[in-house]
Amino acid sequence: MEYLSGGKIVVVDLGTSEIVEETLEESLVEEKIGGAAITRHLAEAHADGNPIVIGTGLLTGTLYPATCGGIITAKSPVTGKLCHCPVTLKVALEIQFAGFDYIVLKGVSAKPVFLWVHDGIADISDAADVWGKDTWTTTDAWRKNMGDDLIQTMVIGKAGEEKSDCAQVCLNYWASGDRFGFGKLFGMKNLKGLAFRGMGLLEIADAEEFIELSLDMLEDLKESAFVGKQGIGDLCAAIGEQGAKEWLAPIVHRHSACYNTPYPSNTFVYIDEDPQRVTEPEQAEPGFLVTDLYGLLGFYKLNLSAKDACGLMRECARLGLDAATVAEWCAANGKQAAGDIQAALPGISSQATISGRGIFSPWCPRQPIWGAFEAAAQDGEQWWERRMAVAAVFGIHPLMAVMAPELSEADLLETATVGTGITFNQERLNGVIDYLLAD
Amino acid sequence: MMGYDEYAALNQRLMQGQRWYISGRPGTERISRYRSDESRLLYYPRIGVYTGSGASHSWLWVAEMLDRMGFHDVAFLDAAGVQNGLLEGMDVLMVSGGDTFAAANALGPAGALAIAHFVSRGGLYIGACAGAYLVMNSSKPGLADFNFTAVKITNLSKSLPACFQMPHKFSTSYGCDYIFHPVRETVRLRIDGHLPFAPDEELDAPLYGGAGMLASRDVQVLACYHAFTPDTAFLVDPGLASETLLGTAAALRSPMGNGWFYLFGPHFEHPRYPAANAFLADAIFWDSQPNSAGRHTAEAPPLASEAESRRLLKDIKREVSNARICAGGMEMLPIGWLIGAKYYEPEKIRYFLEAIWHRLQRLEKGGRVRCSDEQAQRLRRFSIATTERVRQLKQNIESTEGTRDLAESLFSLLQCYAVTFLELYFQTLSNPTFNSRS
Repeated sequence: MEYLSGGKIVVVDLGTSEIVEETLEESLVEEKIGGAAITRHLAEAHADGNPIVIGTGLLTGTLYPATCGGIITAKSPVTGKLCHCPVTLKVALEIQFAGFDYIVLKGVSAKPVFLWVHDGIADISDAADVWGKDTWTTTDAWRKNMGDDLIQTMVIGKAGEEKSDCAQVCLNYWASGDRFGFGKLFGMKNLKGLAFRGMGLLEIADAEEFIELSLDMLEDLKESAFVGKQGIGDLCAAIGEQGAKEWLAPIVHRHSACYNTPYPSNTFVYIDEDPQRVTEPEQAEPGFLVTDLYGLLGFYKLNLSAKDACGLMRECARLGLDAATVAEWCAANGKQAAGDIQAALPGISSQATISGRGIFSPWCPRQPIWGAFEAAAQDGEQWWERRMAVAAVFGIHPLMAVMAPELSEADLLETATVGTGITFNQERLNGVIDYLLAD
Repeated sequence: MMGYDEYAALNQRLMQGQRWYISGRPGTERISRYRSDESRLLYYPRIGVYTGSGASHSWLWVAEMLDRMGFHDVAFLDAAGVQNGLLEGMDVLMVSGGDTFAAANALGPAGALAIAHFVSRGGLYIGACAGAYLVMNSSKPGLADFNFTAVKITNLSKSLPACFQMPHKFSTSYGCDYIFHPVRETVRLRIDGHLPFAPDEELDAPLYGGAGMLASRDVQVLACYHAFTPDTAFLVDPGLASETLLGTAAALRSPMGNGWFYLFGPHFEHPRYPAANAFLADAIFWDSQPNSAGRHTAEAPPLASEAESRRLLKDIKREVSNARICAGGMEMLPIGWLIGAKYYEPEKIRYFLEAIWHRLQRLEKGGRVRCSDEQAQRLRRFSIATTERVRQLKQNIESTEGTRDLAESLFSLLQCYAVTFLELYFQTLSNPTFNSRS
C-alpha cells in the first residue's frame, strides 16, 4: 500500500516475543478500505491468540478535517463480543506516523511489558518499573525515558493490572472511549500499554486534489450547525443536559480539540487553581481534561459539586477506570459522597451497561448533535451504527460523525480515492459496513 | 549546469570504466559550458573527506553532495589517517568547516607535510570555510606549518566592530587579532571566468564564518562576493559588511607542484545550493588527476549475508530512531554548548542522525551491505551508546545538571558513528553488485 499508509502491519506475539512485519497489501485495502474493517479482519485472522488490534483509519493524520481517529479492536473480556473503541486526541496521529497502519498484539506476556512503536520499529520493552504505577506516572516515565514529550501513549493503570471489569485503556493521561474493559484485557496480557512516536511522512496519490478536497470540506464545516459551540458543556446541553453545562461552567479553564478536528470537544477544568488564571499555573497538575461526556454526566447526576466530580474523574483516569461505569456503580450502590467514592475506587469492578449491539463504544452520543441527519429520524440506532462504522473505517472523530452531515460517505469515498489512487465506490463501502455490523 | 542526476549518471559510467572527455569541440561530450577546445579525460576520483579533530558537522554536507552526484568512492580521514599516508590513495581531499586551530593542531607538521606532498604530486585540495583558512599563509603557531597559499583575509581586525546579532557566532580570536564574521547565510557570488567555469554567471552559497579573500598574482580568483540577498543575516553594520566582503574573492585556486588548492569562503558543498554544488563537481572533474601512487590500497570489506545485513540495518535503525526522537525533544530547549571554538545547538545532533537515517532505506532496499564483522560491531556499539548519551543529555538538561562535557562527548561519538556508517554506505554503493537503482 503506497499512499496514505506506512504500508506495514506488525504482529507481536507477547508470549514468544516474536515480532513479524507484514506488508499491508493493496488488495486488502481495496476490499476492506481501512480502519475498523481491517482491524476486525486481522482480529479474526489471529483469533487463536485473543488479539488486541490497533489501527488507524484510511484518512487518519491527513489534512482532511476531523481525521484524528484510530481504533482498538478486540474481543471484550466483559461482553465477550468483538468490538471497537475509538482512539482520539493526538494518539492515532502518532500511530499513523510511527510506521505501522495496524498492530496485532496476541498471546500473553510472562512479565509486564509495553510496546514501543517508533519510526517503523516495534520493540517489546520491559514495564516492570511502571507496573503498579498510575497512568500519569507511566506516561511521564515513558516520555522521560525516551526523551520526548510528544510521545503518545495507550496505557492502563492499577485497575487494568488488577483486571477490573471497568478497567479502561487511557490515552496519555485522559479517559478514552473504552467501555468494553479493554483495560482488563491489557492487564490479562501483562501489557502495560503502548507508546508511539513517529517522524515519518504520508505520501498522497494526488496531493493537490487531496488538499483541495480537504480545504473544501473545511469551508463546508465552517457553515455547519456546530459553529459557535465549544467544549463538553455544549455537548451536554445538546443532548438535553443544559444543567450540567451550567454546573461545570465555573471551573472551565479552556477547550481543546483533537488533531485537525474543527470542534473542540475536550474541556480542561481547573480543580486546584483559579480557573480564571491565564498565566502559568503554580501547580504542575492544576486540573483535568474532560474527554468523556457520559462519565461527566454520571457524576453530575450523583449531585456532586463540579470540582468533586472532576476530581473523581481525574482519579479514575489515573487508576485507568471507566468513569461512566464507576458513576453507574455509585448510583446503584448508594455512594453519593465524594470521599466515599474516592475510597471505593480502587476496588470497583463493575460491567458497563451497553445499549444497542455493543459493536461500537457508547462513549459517543446515539443521536445527532446539532447537525440534521435525515436517516436518524427514520431509524436512530441503524443510523448511529452506520455513522460509527464510517468514522471507524476512515478515521473520523466519532463525535464529528454525529455532528457534521457534511462529512458524507460520498465525500469521504472521493477523498479516499484521490488520496490513495484506489477507486472506492458506495457499493464497496456498503459491503464494508455490512461486514462490520454483522454479528 | 548539470543536475545531480546527470552527475550521478556520468559517475556511474566512469565507475564502469567508460572514457569520457571534457571538451568544447562539437561531437564530443561536455559536462558544462566550457569555452575551450581543451580536452581532458574525466576520472572517477577517489575522494578523501576530513572528519578528524576540528571538523564540525559540515563534512556531512560534503558527504551529501558527493552522494547525490554519484561520487561514491569516498573515504573519511582523521588526522592520524592524513599523517599516516592515507592520502596516498586519494585524488581529492575535501576539508570543510569547523575549528581551524583544532584541525591544525591535530594534523600537526606531519599532516601539513602529507597535504603538501599530496597536492604537489597532483592531488586536489578543496577547503571550505575553516578548511580554507587552514591552508592560507599565517604566522600563528600551528597554522604556520600550513602556509600553502598566498591569500590574505579581509575579515580580520585588531578590534571587534559592534555586533548586531548572534554574538556567540560572531568572532574568533586570532592571536592578538580577531576574525569576525560580517554576515551569515546566503550571499550572491559572481564567477570570474577561469576554466571550466562560465564567466559572469551568478550563484548563491551560504556563508557561515568563511573568509573574504585577497589573492596574490599567482592565485586565480574563481568567484567574488557580489551582493547580499534577502536571506543574508547581518552581524555587523551593512556598510561595514559590504566594505569587508563585496568584491573580494569567495573562491580561488592556487597551484602547488602538479596540484591545486581550491579555497572557498562560503560552503559550496551545502546541499541546499545545487549551483554551488555543481561548481564544486566541475572543479573536481577539471582538476583531479589519476593518482600515480595507486588506488584502492585497502581491500574492500566483504559482503555481509542478506540476513545479517537486514539485522544490522534494523539494529541501527532502531537506535537512530530512538536517538533522533529524543534529540527532537531537545530542540526547543534554550541551550547550546561552546566546544572548542565552535558553538553547538541541540539541532546539530540531528544533522548527524539524519545523515544516517536517510541512507538506511536505500541500503535496506539494496539488500546486502559491504561490512566487516568489526565494523558491524562498532556500528552496533555506537548506535546504543548514542541513544544512551542523547537520553542522558536530555535528562541532565531537565534536571539542570551540567551538560557541556556530556555534549562534547556526544558530538565526538556522533562523529565516529556517522563516519563508520557512511564508510559502510559508500563502500556498499561502490560495490558493483549493489542495486543502485533502488
